[in-house]
Amino acid sequence: MGRCLASVALAAVALLMGAAGADEVPRNTLIVKGAWPSASDPTTPLPEGGELAAGSYQNAYFGLTLRFSSRWQPGLAGPPPSDSGAYVLAQIVPAAGPAAARPGHLLISAQDMFFTATATRSALALINYTSEHLDRSVYRIEEAPRETRLAGRSFVRFAYYAPAAAMHWQVLATEIRCHVVEFVLVSAEGARMAELLQAIDRMPQTGAAADGGVAAAGEVPLCIANYAGPDTLLEHEEPRFTESRFNSIPVRIVIDGAGRVKHIHFLRAFPDQAHAITDALRRWRFKPHLLDGRSVEVETGLVFGRGAAPVAALAPAASR
Amino acid sequence: MDKRVVFLAVCAVVPAAVLAQTDPGVRGGAINGQPGATATRPLPLLSVIEEQPRGVLEFFQNGLSRFQDVETVNNSANVGLGPRFNMNQCSACHAQPTIGGSGAANNPQFAAIGDGVVDGATNTMPSFITAHGPTREARFPFFMSASGAPLTGSPNGGVEDLFTVSGLAGAAGCSLSQPAFAQALAANNVIYRIPTPLFGAGLVENLDDATLMANKAAQAANTLGITGTFNRNGNDGTIARFGWKAQNKSLLMFAGEAYNVEMGITNELFPNERPLPQEDQATGLPAGCMNLGGKGYPEDATNFQVTASADQAAQNAQVSSDIVMFAEFARLLAPPLPAPTTGPGGASAFVAGLALFKSVGCAACHTPTLNATQASQVTPSLSKAAVNAFSDFEIHDMGTGLADNVSQGGAGGNQFRTAPLWGAGQRIYFLHDGRTSDLLVAIRAHASSGSEANEVVENFNGLSPTQQQEILDFVRSL
Repeated sequence: MGRCLASVALAAVALLMGAAGADEVPRNTLIVKGAWPSASDPTTPLPEGGELAAGSYQNAYFGLTLRFSSRWQPGLAGPPPSDSGAYVLAQIVPAAGPAAARPGHLLISAQDMFFTATATRSALALINYTSEHLDRSVYRIEEAPRETRLAGRSFVRFAYYAPAAAMHWQVLATEIRCHVVEFVLVSAEGARMAELLQAIDRMPQTGAAADGGVAAAGEVPLCIANYAGPDTLLEHEEPRFTESRFNSIPVRIVIDGAGRVKHIHFLRAFPDQAHAITDALRRWRFKPHLLDGRSVEVETGLVFGRGAAPVAALAPAASR
Repeated sequence: MDKRVVFLAVCAVVPAAVLAQTDPGVRGGAINGQPGATATRPLPLLSVIEEQPRGVLEFFQNGLSRFQDVETVNNSANVGLGPRFNMNQCSACHAQPTIGGSGAANNPQFAAIGDGVVDGATNTMPSFITAHGPTREARFPFFMSASGAPLTGSPNGGVEDLFTVSGLAGAAGCSLSQPAFAQALAANNVIYRIPTPLFGAGLVENLDDATLMANKAAQAANTLGITGTFNRNGNDGTIARFGWKAQNKSLLMFAGEAYNVEMGITNELFPNERPLPQEDQATGLPAGCMNLGGKGYPEDATNFQVTASADQAAQNAQVSSDIVMFAEFARLLAPPLPAPTTGPGGASAFVAGLALFKSVGCAACHTPTLNATQASQVTPSLSKAAVNAFSDFEIHDMGTGLADNVSQGGAGGNQFRTAPLWGAGQRIYFLHDGRTSDLLVAIRAHASSGSEANEVVENFNGLSPTQQQEILDFVRSL
């Protein structure tokens, strides 16, 4: 009994200490978020939901695991997804040590091809866009974008160099679930590309990334651009927003085999917008999508707000 | 200790210290890089000096004069100050390196009690206002309970004016308390903003949305993790671009808000006295604090009767209200010019620094040049002109290290406009809250959890100390 009372007393003290902490705005904490990502459920993997820890980066949405040696360590978390579908998935930086032994730093990013501002629709087109928009007075192309195969899947490789900074950028990009996933290594040595290629080549792939991008049927939804159109959408209603804003609201949805919206991912939306769109999407009904005679889940993108296209004007166009 | 050991230790440390990169500090030489400018005489655009169109220089001079007006509660030519305010003169806060700029080395707010701008019997100096610190406004990100606990479910974010007119001549019936700064500080519920410089603002105002969007599109597939978006005006959806979060659409809006919020002067854009956010949630300002100027509202208005003058332009310039002339002054101010040969490190550092600045990715947001402004009816220098502002005028996620938990328009608590770097060489304080005078610290503060700039800062950190020094020298040459 005495020990029990002591425990209660300790718990009360802890509670009071916690309450004291609540009298202060938490430091280095973002509370007022503006337009922000959210999802309709906490379990479906999201592109931004990867885990970066000592020695590895794992992303269940993309089905990727990248292992790295003790010469590297996790960097800072990136920003939330952008309203044009750009993600910073992970930054991996050199572990402390002599500068000469540092391997450079690695950025893993993704571009959702449903929402890209570049009007490109493939990894090669996107990397070509990158190449074409590099300031040639600053950067020199070392390897023009070209396709290659690694770990049984197609990649685009590209390299450029900044002579003033003596920095090399080596880029490997691949398509997964209608995203272009990029690995960008920045280092002082051009030869590091070989190291990156090796690491990617050894990269375990599951789910969406498995078998060169052809996942086992049903393992991940089939991604189809502009899927919501007059030929596929049986019932829909527009969201009823409570406030006029002028932001673009990119939304990824997963449609189940019965044609209902089972998962909603807002890349960026104000909370009231997400609420209104969720209410509307719950009422949407699609024709079940058939693959080899079997209904399958479909993942597609919708844009509300700025840049939205009327549903009736959208024509479905299948793509991988 | 053996003296030889000490000597060796010092020898081991000193070379590193000598080689380490350091902010060269505020650049000397011509103010704004403009021969002829002085600390009290900022230069207008070239076509304004050339009187294109005729009379425009008079409007600039009139605006410059009004920018320096000392506002009082009543009984002067410039009444309407308060009842709450941060300072009594535009040029007091916009002072560095000349009128129209940012905060000066000596903060005039700190001297407000000694100078009689504020009554020391009714006001105390907030602890974050210091003699040689940044000129600031303060905001409480969250409303607070009666006991001072921050209510993080109730965002505030409005300006908490530093001073009240209580105790000043003409404010006998107005008894107001200052905001609970000590309580808010104890609750980590205060953030700061410093004045944004106005040089070249007319060029920024005259950038068409298409030019800004084309610049954004050119960066759309960068390999730096940088995206950005625009803070679009809630009324018409076009791109807003003034203020730390690009929350103001136009210079007139910027001026109207500054008069109302910073000086407490009602005007044709903000025609009502402004209570503090917490006062506005209760019963507003007390009746004894209203119409202290005695002229009715708005306190700053169009002048329907002006003194006749043989000089038509001089007569015309009197007609407009103060906020219109503030906006004209800002619109006609010349942009700062870089010092490519006389900056720290000289011409070679400028060239090398610019190349490095671009190489590591700073220019992905700090766009060196936007080309070009739309045709202008105001004056030729604003027409089809390159804007060398070193900004994309987008708002970017800047991470938890810089986040202030204040939302303005479409900008969330972590989003800030890319601060234009033209004139940075002669700025004293950096970042939205003026937390540092050290350019190197400011650069590194761009990196924190959730920031778009993390990759660029990592690139910067990967440069040699000499290369980093060249970037610092370059920015101090702007």
